[in-house]
Amino acid sequence: MLSFVSRRLATGVGLIATLAVLTFFFLQFGVSDVAQRIAGQQAGPDAVAVVEERIGVDRPVQVQFADWAGSALTGDLGRSWFSGQEVTEAVMSRMAVTVSLAVGSVVLTALLGITLGALAATRRGWSDRGVQFLAVLGQAIPGFLMAMALVLVFAINLDWFPATGYTRPSESVPGWLLSITLPVVALTIGSIGGVAQQVRGSMIDAFERDYVRTLRSRGLPRRSVVLQHVLRNAAGPALTVLGLQFVILLGGAVIVETLFSIPGLGPLALTSTSQGDIPVVMGIVIVTGVVVVLVNTLVDVVQAWVNPKVRLS
Amino acid sequence: MLRHTKLAAAAGMATLALAACSSSGADDAASPAAGGSEGTAIEGRAPELRIGAVVDISTWVAADAAWGNEATYYMAVYDSLLRTSATNEVQPGLAEAWEYNDDLTELTLDIRDGVTFTDGTPLDAQVVVDNLNRFREGASPDRGLLDAVTDVAAADDDTVVITLSAPDPALEINLSMQAGLIASPSTFDAPDAQTTPVGTGPYELDAASSTIGATYTFTANEDYWAPEDQHFDSITINYYADASALLNALRDGQVDISNLNSLTQIPDAEAAGYTTNSIPVNWKGLILADRWGANNEALADVKVRQAINYAIDREGLLQGLESGYGEPTTQIFNVEGDAYEAELEDAYPYDPEKAKALLAEAGYPDGIHITMPQTSFVPASEPELIKGVLAESNIFIDYEQAGESFFGDLLGGAWSAFAFGLNQEPLAWQTYNQAIAPGAAWNVYHQADETVEALAARIRLGGEDGAAAAKELNEYVVDQAWFAPFYRVIGAIVTADGFAITMKSGQAVSNLWDITATA
Repeated sequence: MLSFVSRRLATGVGLIATLAVLTFFFLQFGVSDVAQRIAGQQAGPDAVAVVEERIGVDRPVQVQFADWAGSALTGDLGRSWFSGQEVTEAVMSRMAVTVSLAVGSVVLTALLGITLGALAATRRGWSDRGVQFLAVLGQAIPGFLMAMALVLVFAINLDWFPATGYTRPSESVPGWLLSITLPVVALTIGSIGGVAQQVRGSMIDAFERDYVRTLRSRGLPRRSVVLQHVLRNAAGPALTVLGLQFVILLGGAVIVETLFSIPGLGPLALTSTSQGDIPVVMGIVIVTGVVVVLVNTLVDVVQAWVNPKVRLS
Repeated sequence: MLRHTKLAAAAGMATLALAACSSSGADDAASPAAGGSEGTAIEGRAPELRIGAVVDISTWVAADAAWGNEATYYMAVYDSLLRTSATNEVQPGLAEAWEYNDDLTELTLDIRDGVTFTDGTPLDAQVVVDNLNRFREGASPDRGLLDAVTDVAAADDDTVVITLSAPDPALEINLSMQAGLIASPSTFDAPDAQTTPVGTGPYELDAASSTIGATYTFTANEDYWAPEDQHFDSITINYYADASALLNALRDGQVDISNLNSLTQIPDAEAAGYTTNSIPVNWKGLILADRWGANNEALADVKVRQAINYAIDREGLLQGLESGYGEPTTQIFNVEGDAYEAELEDAYPYDPEKAKALLAEAGYPDGIHITMPQTSFVPASEPELIKGVLAESNIFIDYEQAGESFFGDLLGGAWSAFAFGLNQEPLAWQTYNQAIAPGAAWNVYHQADETVEALAARIRLGGEDGAAAAKELNEYVVDQAWFAPFYRVIGAIVTADGFAITMKSGQAVSNLWDITATA
């Protein structure tokens, strides 16, 4: 196990280094007038020159990269060219917001998806058809439409939740829960179906395996067979889907975060990329890369723990 | 404050609580009230003001500051040397008094005594000198506002003398905006200057409660030199990057006062219980830039430019593009400014036949073609509507998709004419420097005109003759059809019950001290 985790983390470091080099040099194609953008579109050449010198884009690209990489290795990811905020602070504070949404969504998806999938696989018939219909419906409704509907119903008409904004848990835990509920639900509805389908399919496969028939013929209660054996064997694909969902949500929650005016990683990534704010984009890529490597490693470890038949190799 | 029902809902969310361990927790057009909303201001300070903003602040560095929609942020933490009222009358700011010498080339400022920055640093003349010089050498898009300044010097501890190369009628107004913002010297070389402002202003930024790019919280500066202008204990500015998010915030009553992304949001805001306050801000229309015919020979003929003006159905465009929120006009100068003339509001009534006749007289009986830019940030319906209106007078627009360097290309003269909106500045001199002077950014071909320059020389010296020259300049520019204005569009700010605002002429946002809580 330790050797597996070490190898995965070492591969991850290589992956992140490659990602950093590629991202930095690809970004050069889109930032030709970044100093003009920072100074303002009506700014004259004098003001633009001041900005170019200040942010260092008047130097050769390779020198810029060497400087950035040297600082990054010491943990200094620099400052945003536009806001002046430290990149580490900007990315980590927003990562915390997005991670809270992603974790909330993954937990909710796991609870509902596994329950519905197990229900469909064990009861079949109308329950199965009902779950499958809801799964397809959930996946078919666009996230932004779901978000708008949730706001109109639960924030504006019923007044149960705030329509926009984010409250930090350090300020108020109930306020924080209220502020992330609708965004989490909006992010979750589309993904429940995928997990439910995976669990359903894996469980139906497992039900037809010889070992399940053997367990049943030995008189084990159906509840015990389902919970201790079938569901455990079916958990692998569901964990993979949940791990993927978490990773996708880190960068993919941008629409929901924007609609709810939540200061997460999505809007920061969108803004910094369109502006050509290289330090921030690089910071997002590095931090997200680290999280993705850790989450994937964790998913593999959990898979092995849930199902010892899975060998870490 | 959270409502009871919302707190109750929190109790039933045990599932979501599981996520807590993963969060580190860092961080009809006649309806708008013109000029502002009414109400009697309450005595003392109200607890809180929540402002909805449609533009984020680009930097807190005073020397690099822009203005427009960002002015609210700056007015919270900084003071300017002078102030302007809602009607643009110049008033004392950090400078208690000021006066020009006889030939208007030296402005002497008497700096207010006893003012300190929120970090405890005292304000003196040298700090003012350093701030003005930093703005002149900084990265503000508007650093040209101090172009006429040749020297800034401290005559003594509380006297600053600004020397000009030539009289600048706009200097006092410029010193009431970004060019006159005064920051603490402790921020000059501070690495966090862009995120941590230190001023003498009515409020202090509470960085710990703020999230850059989203929410900014300010608390009252208890040592403020003008406490009568602090109407709130705290102010929160929430930036809404998305129009739907802003509308939802309005519908949920999450803001007390807000700008709008679009005038089409007015009915929704009013339905949510807000009062709309409006004032004319920008003029929108065509800038007929290529008056030398460098790229489009036809535009060099004044008859062609006048034909374009006659070809514009201003009422129709106002209804079609702005839902009627504005007023048709054929002049680019501010309604309350010195150059404004009521009779120039309709100098070119819509008349396609007259437009065609003028084109024929100019040698274009079959009409003309003009290439204009089309951008992704303007709805496609807008250029199409303009194209359709002009085509009725045989003026054919060929659109060209603008690239990422749109503004650079535009200001570099890539297109001989283009649709745009420009702010209606308070003074004719400002409008001249914005779009008419040979060096003006929006005189994109930098055309010089002897008549214009003679009039500008008179405007520069001010007085009655300067005001008369401003009107003559307006008449000349309209007659020569340098522009083809469509209408003057309103700027709108919505206010919730219990809040009042006095709109500021020619500015997208009001003075912060003109926002009050009402009884």
